[in-house]
Amino acid sequence: MVVPVVEPSDETLAARAAAGDNSAFETLVQRYQARVFRLACRLTSDTEAPDVLQDTFLQVYRHLPSFRGESQFATWLYRIATNAALMHRRATARRPAESLEAFLPRFDADGTHAATPAQLQVASCADEMLDRQTLAEKARDVIARLPDTYREAFVLRDLEEMPTAHVAQVLGIESAAVRQRVHRARLMLRGYLSDLVGVKP
Amino acid sequence: MTPVACASGVELLMDFIEGVLPSEVSAALEAHVAGCARCAAFVASYQATPRILRDATTVTLPADIEASLKAFLRARTNAFK
Repeated sequence: MVVPVVEPSDETLAARAAAGDNSAFETLVQRYQARVFRLACRLTSDTEAPDVLQDTFLQVYRHLPSFRGESQFATWLYRIATNAALMHRRATARRPAESLEAFLPRFDADGTHAATPAQLQVASCADEMLDRQTLAEKARDVIARLPDTYREAFVLRDLEEMPTAHVAQVLGIESAAVRQRVHRARLMLRGYLSDLVGVKP
Repeated sequence: MTPVACASGVELLMDFIEGVLPSEVSAALEAHVAGCARCAAFVASYQATPRILRDATTVTLPADIEASLKAFLRARTNAFK
């Protein structure tokens, strides 16, 4: 008979780690390192992500004694990682990002879409029309061009697929503000994908 | 209620998908999209956008970066000894 092994919850491990159990901390690192790395790549760049990953877990280690379990451990961890990513972005000299406003949808005077259905649909096929490598490079570039507040909300909500209420907790804003930022980001990115496969928004 | 124009419908999309619109507003939007080929095409591409960018930015943690993380934490904490 196979006895199911019940893994301790994040919160149990966090409490043990806070009390000085280093193996509990190591388990949390093992459990989350790949996700934090992926988040860091999406919020910064491949070259900065390893530093963000290290900073995040060092801060987790140092601040665990003050983690009170008021939010889920994952929410608390993502807040630390998101802030670490933002600090890295600020510390790195970047070219001013070109605005993505030009990719917003256009409407006629009566509020009807200016583009045809075929033109409006084309962004859906961007992944079939472009090779993987090109799309991966373009995706990283355009996500980096989003305003910081939109990027954070979009990456957490749509790329990491966190529920809107959790994103709101991570960012310390209302759910309605998360939805508004994610919506604006989706509009710009949708227009960008469309442009990438040859249709102006 | 007032018929939805494409432009005002687009502004409601996120709230519609997340199910936070009042039911009558939601119904009016659905009715508009059902009869508007442009909006149906727009909604499809709006919903495809997160998936396309998620797939395009999925990475795995390389073994050398994982090893560096452990070495970094070993040097600065009491873990990974």
